[in-house]
Amino acid sequence: MKKIKKLLLISLLAFFSLQLSAQGYKLPPFEKFKLPNGLTIYLMEQHEVPVISVSAILPAGAIYDGEKSGLASLTATALKHGTLNYTKAKLDEELDFIGASVNTSASKESAGLSAKFAAKDKDNVLAIIKDLLLEPVFDTAEFTKEKKRLLVGLEQQKESPRAVIGSYFDKMLYGDHVYGNIIQGKISTVTPLTTNDLKAFYKENYRPDGAAISVVGDFSLTDMKAKLTALFSGWKKGSKVQENKAAEPIKNPTENKVLLVNKEDAKETTFYIGAPGISRNNPDFVSIDVVNTLFGGRFTSMLNDELRVNTGLTYGASSRFSALKNGGSFVITTFTAGKTTEPAIDKALEVINKLHKDGIDEKSLTSAKNYVKGQFPPRYETAGQLAGLLTQMFWYNFDESFINNFEKNVDGLTLEKAKQIITKYFPKDKLQFVLVGKAADIKKIAEKYGKVTEVQIKEEVKKGF
Amino acid sequence: MKKIILPAFLFLGMHLQAQMKADEVKTFTLKNGMKFLVVEDNSIPNANMYLFYRVGSRNEYQGITGLSHFFEHMMFNGAKKYGPKLFDQTMEFNGGSNNAYTTENVTVYTNWFPSSAAETIFDLEGDRISSLSIDPKMVESERGVVLSERSTGLENSPWEQLSQTLQGAAFLEHPYHWPVIGYVDDMKNWKQQDLERYFKTYYAPNNCVVVVSGGIKLAEVKRLAEKYLEPIPAQPAPPKVNIVEPPQTGERRVTVQKDVATPYLLIGYRTPEARHEDFYALNILSSILSSGKSSRLYSSLVDEKQLATQVFTGYGESFDPTLFQVYAVANKNVAETDLEQAIYKELDKIKTNGISESELQKIKNQKLMEFYSQVETINGKSNNIGTYEVFFGDYRKMFEAPAKYNKVTAADVQNVAKKYFTKSNRTVGVSKSNVED
Repeated sequence: MKKIKKLLLISLLAFFSLQLSAQGYKLPPFEKFKLPNGLTIYLMEQHEVPVISVSAILPAGAIYDGEKSGLASLTATALKHGTLNYTKAKLDEELDFIGASVNTSASKESAGLSAKFAAKDKDNVLAIIKDLLLEPVFDTAEFTKEKKRLLVGLEQQKESPRAVIGSYFDKMLYGDHVYGNIIQGKISTVTPLTTNDLKAFYKENYRPDGAAISVVGDFSLTDMKAKLTALFSGWKKGSKVQENKAAEPIKNPTENKVLLVNKEDAKETTFYIGAPGISRNNPDFVSIDVVNTLFGGRFTSMLNDELRVNTGLTYGASSRFSALKNGGSFVITTFTAGKTTEPAIDKALEVINKLHKDGIDEKSLTSAKNYVKGQFPPRYETAGQLAGLLTQMFWYNFDESFINNFEKNVDGLTLEKAKQIITKYFPKDKLQFVLVGKAADIKKIAEKYGKVTEVQIKEEVKKGF
Repeated sequence: MKKIILPAFLFLGMHLQAQMKADEVKTFTLKNGMKFLVVEDNSIPNANMYLFYRVGSRNEYQGITGLSHFFEHMMFNGAKKYGPKLFDQTMEFNGGSNNAYTTENVTVYTNWFPSSAAETIFDLEGDRISSLSIDPKMVESERGVVLSERSTGLENSPWEQLSQTLQGAAFLEHPYHWPVIGYVDDMKNWKQQDLERYFKTYYAPNNCVVVVSGGIKLAEVKRLAEKYLEPIPAQPAPPKVNIVEPPQTGERRVTVQKDVATPYLLIGYRTPEARHEDFYALNILSSILSSGKSSRLYSSLVDEKQLATQVFTGYGESFDPTLFQVYAVANKNVAETDLEQAIYKELDKIKTNGISESELQKIKNQKLMEFYSQVETINGKSNNIGTYEVFFGDYRKMFEAPAKYNKVTAADVQNVAKKYFTKSNRTVGVSKSNVED
């Protein structure tokens, strides 16, 4: 007992004597302008290393897939299959030779390009980037190879519960809403795709209006502005208005449900427990981040403390809010040995109940605030991180005040407000469970938590659950 | 998440240019033998502290396998001043976060914090290095954590079991024989006295190199180091690892059953340690084979012949002779034997015809970009400097590396390919669903 008291005293002293800093972290100056065709451009000089990073974001994500699941992702990948001026082989060789990286991919809502290269190669690489975005040819032979690899990849994913659980969860939570679309696609929808599908998708969704490019690194602003204006002014606006299916209402769950994904050779159970979350423009975004840090966003979080540190049930347990433009999700995620499935799920539920019942105290709120403030600057240290931030600002329509007022907003969170945040945003019922594991061993357990739907991991993800 | 095992294929930088010079690294050694490397960098109001201990699974023996990694976990479970949970709670309260990893060779602890929290970080480190308390109750719950870590690795990546089996066949006597995570039966049986001995032997200040980078002055680092770390007594040097793996005299093959869509193939060639003169040429050879889509193996196997969906290679720093590994996943309806033969064909091309000057220049250009990425962040700086100090014996070797890489010729690359890529020098592993074929 004595020892414990003494330790507590020491820790309290440590807590109160500290003065926190990372103070005054401000976003470096940048310039933002718009070309007549609607393309938004962000430029920021950073001279620490002779390197330039580019980030581009386009309204061409999986939400536009329609019935052709995987189309947005394949279109983004296929931008690198050759352009009017470069064959695929020439592109690969040129970029590899100068050590430049240019990657294209699609996410749920948007498509994106990110690049990093030596400052001395800027003319060369920027011309390539322009070609990729404006003049892709969608070569059939390259596409055939890509598709074949993807189809094998989709089978291989099923070897890893962690690689597929997110898609199951999104389907379960969002149902028929486009946020349930599976980015990488499904075998049945990818198989019939042709380059004609890609060309049509490209034509409709790769457009300067609604897109942004940011360039951060070792260059002169005036010079770069002239270069980008010359490169991208000829990009034609989209011909018709994109249909914003993401704006359609999302049907929220009305009861607890369990999706049990049977993996015959599973030794552990990987699970999500989730619910509807928030959209990125939620005014409480920063406060929610602070509270989630406490609940499941760091090593000493309530979840990790209980499931890992106190009980040794898992290597790690965490929670997160994934915010999109018009909605989002909240999940608790962890994994445990098959035979400890029940105690692990019970513990996770116990922790969320505890959050609602006991709330949080002043000391832990202070700790979470210090933590998010202290860990904030390294998130925006490199040119690549800053370029990504600028296109996120464009996409989610926020500005530098997010960075510059971050500390102020964190500090402004009171205990009273934190209580409201918990009640309003952290679920306690109508929970959606996805369990990937050996169904024969855990089905009885699954039934405790809600109505169970069982599927086989080797089968395709269905429309909704 | 904390306390992860990293495979040993970290890439190292070279081509040090104006962006960072050797004299930016300041050093001092405490009376107890603990060496400090410090880089002042005020680009963000944060700093870090990387502690490299020269202990890993190569210091274990059968019966205590996995103990180095387990010990890494135990370093977070309470000491004299900051008891159970307080290391993490105090660090996070002060705006800091941490992680750690264990390899065959080293155990590395990493702290990331706002510069103003530096004193607390030194206090926390001083406390656990001087007076860790190994509570039997914490040992039991932490055992569950590492068992879960082992199981989730096996559950989510087919490479895990395959590479463990391959290591076991490629090294028959040397401790690289067992996996860093340990054998499951050893994991269930580590004893309190093993842990106590490990702490005293390997967690001595003279067995540790500390790197601090960020918005903190050298004088301040020195003051804190003298206050919190210098009082910790030095220990006798840890016992040497005496076992030298005998030469391999014939090809070895292993097969692992796993319910995979297509076969996974792993080939390991016995190659030398980081301080060997062939290190740089082998490192370049690895990039020639698999760095980028124009690389030899990718362009031939994945793109042109469509025999593989993925291919990559790994050759990292180690204290003792190690493996140069080629990883490949078969494409649909491709027999793994065809894929294997196609890999040998590519390796043979280099052995017979060498590489072109422009290929060599390509890799040198790529290495320069890698270097920029590594010095772009304070964490990259600490990690690189510490790695050179520990694996090459002197952090200044990092600044000599450009010259060493530039000296490598196309003929050197061909020569190491000839020397090491021989049939009798390799171990081949296959993971597939039907192993009765």
